[in-house]
Amino acid sequence: MATILVHIALVAYTAGAAAFLTWLVRPAPGFARAGRLLLLVGVVVHFAAFGVSLGVAGAGLGVKAWKGGELFSLLAAVTVAGYLLLDFRYELSVAGAFVGPFTVAIMVPAHLVHSDARAIAPEVSHSIALFVHVGASAIGTAVLALSFGLSVLYLASERQMKEKRPGRLFARLPSLDLLDRAGYRLAVWGFVFLSLAIATGSLVSREATGSPFPLAPKQGFAILAWALFASLIQARLVAGWRGRRVAMLVVAGFVLLIGTYVGLLSAAPALQGTAA
Amino acid sequence: MTLLCVGLSHKQAPIGVREQIAVPSEQLEARLRQLKSLPGVREAMLVSTCNRIEIFAVADSRAAGEDVLETLGSVAAPHAVCRFEEEALRHLFRVAASLDSMVVGEAQILGQVKEAAAIAQQAGALGPELSKALARATTAAKRVRTETGIARGAVSLSSVAVQLAHKLLGSLDGRSVLLVGAGEMAQLAARELRTQGARELLVANRSPQQAEELAREVGGLPVSLAELPALLERADVAICSTGATQAVVTREMMARALKARRYRPIFLVDLTLPRNVEPSTNELENVYVYDLDDLERVAAQNRDLRTAQVGQAEEIVEQELKAFLLASRERASVPVLARLRAHAESVARAEVEKTLASLQGLDEKQQKTVRAMASAIINKLLHAPTSRLRAEAGQGPLGEATAALFGLEGEAQQPADAEASSEEGPAETAAEGAVLPLLRNR
Repeated sequence: MATILVHIALVAYTAGAAAFLTWLVRPAPGFARAGRLLLLVGVVVHFAAFGVSLGVAGAGLGVKAWKGGELFSLLAAVTVAGYLLLDFRYELSVAGAFVGPFTVAIMVPAHLVHSDARAIAPEVSHSIALFVHVGASAIGTAVLALSFGLSVLYLASERQMKEKRPGRLFARLPSLDLLDRAGYRLAVWGFVFLSLAIATGSLVSREATGSPFPLAPKQGFAILAWALFASLIQARLVAGWRGRRVAMLVVAGFVLLIGTYVGLLSAAPALQGTAA
Repeated sequence: MTLLCVGLSHKQAPIGVREQIAVPSEQLEARLRQLKSLPGVREAMLVSTCNRIEIFAVADSRAAGEDVLETLGSVAAPHAVCRFEEEALRHLFRVAASLDSMVVGEAQILGQVKEAAAIAQQAGALGPELSKALARATTAAKRVRTETGIARGAVSLSSVAVQLAHKLLGSLDGRSVLLVGAGEMAQLAARELRTQGARELLVANRSPQQAEELAREVGGLPVSLAELPALLERADVAICSTGATQAVVTREMMARALKARRYRPIFLVDLTLPRNVEPSTNELENVYVYDLDDLERVAAQNRDLRTAQVGQAEEIVEQELKAFLLASRERASVPVLARLRAHAESVARAEVEKTLASLQGLDEKQQKTVRAMASAIINKLLHAPTSRLRAEAGQGPLGEATAALFGLEGEAQQPADAEASSEEGPAETAAEGAVLPLLRNR
């Protein structure tokens, strides 16, 4: 049942992404509205799938459901939900044209990851810390993905403004001020969730391996990303950094964070055991 | 009936001609009444703007075009263009969608067309045919504005500056605008920024008196030019147009101000030659300098973008035009259908009455069954001809053939009669009859 719902959500996301991309080429407001509606339908069905999945998993906090694939799936759902909230607040249709395809791009590998191979080590599968860690990671990454998207849009728009050659997208992009403010706010929230994810992650790691910060690519990238976002926020607060510099730091921070996920998938992380 | 359009625009006549034949708004109603009184003219509307004067009319025949043309006078006659039927309709759609405007995509023309329609309505010159055409033309124009980028991007230098300020700062509410110098274009841009919500307008000039005078004129606050470095820390937009031969805002000055303003972005608009802002200032982070050439380049690009959207806009106009023509033809095919049904029902009614009179002793239920049978026969017989006539939408030969075959040419039966008669019949008959008002409403 949950799988069918996830497939329906994926179809809705794909159709939503297509509607937004069509809107980029042909700016009829109907396309953006359709894209928004399809993403909304997708995210509702997607969360329903999680509900069903947790219900079936039943035991404890349902953390057995948090396997590698599901984490990406949750990340996609939270990103779309975050985008819809952002769009409701700032009317950012153009960001939908990036969030839609991004969601599809992370949903597809989510299904390709073989669940059994990434099963949670039995000694931590019922841990509250793991539940919070996974939730905070997904929310933090989703929020930072949105911040990354806005920063990319900022950089593109700022370049056109500086070079005095507005392109086709320029007219449909929001103001640089809005992109800067919204991108920074999201980066701050992403940083908060990332901090929580790292703190709870170290607890989980200690439960599973005895070491709170084992030397592994996943942990390394996460710490680097966290440090970068921390310095970004400090530079903004203390020296008043904004605009291009901040946008570039957000992009760099998010790329490091993606490294965490690559580490999660490619290496044999300490957190994950071989048996389910 | 014929739809005709007689008139001229900036494409056919120079401004010298247009200003002679322009109709002042207070004379519009009288002119419309004059048009309506012309022989054969049933409806009329007059659009008179600085770029065009066009009369749209519904007349009994094309011949009325000559009379309408005469009302424009001898000055207009050599330049005027007469359009009929589909061409006139297409022109109305294109004018409303701003495809025939001097600046393609400009927003005013649709409002002007709507105003012309309202005045025609007041003068009693607007009828159902023109109203329907105007409603569809408005729909087409709105689609063109929302579905294409034809109206996007400012095309005058001062509006480009304002648009770019929005692009950089978003809402201008609470922003501070600094006006350095007293150039006319700078004043225009500053005024526009103020009306769009800028909190304060600081006016700096070498001469304090001039600063005060100008500040009074534009509703700003006079400040001294000597305070410029401090003013650059405060302003979000600075518009420079002094007669200075050297740069008034240097890169160094701006770099210092930038640090003090904690890298808040600033938009510097340089509207003079020689330039007032050192060009390399644009290299500073969060500082955006636009001079006259830059603004003109953006304006030209916007014009090109608009032009590039014309094809798509024309497509929308054609779609709407075709849909409107189809609906009109469907409306035109309604009388034949209605007359055919009314004819069939009257024949059936007469035959049923004759039969019932000869079959004495039938109770009410049996009589009802006979009537239902007659109606069912009519519906079955008319089903195929009705579908074909509707599909043909008044364009093919079937309408006339039907009228000739069933001897309907002379019948002046109105659709309303048909509706009334169909209501008397059973459910199926009523359902068929209900198509008629639907078609009429289209």
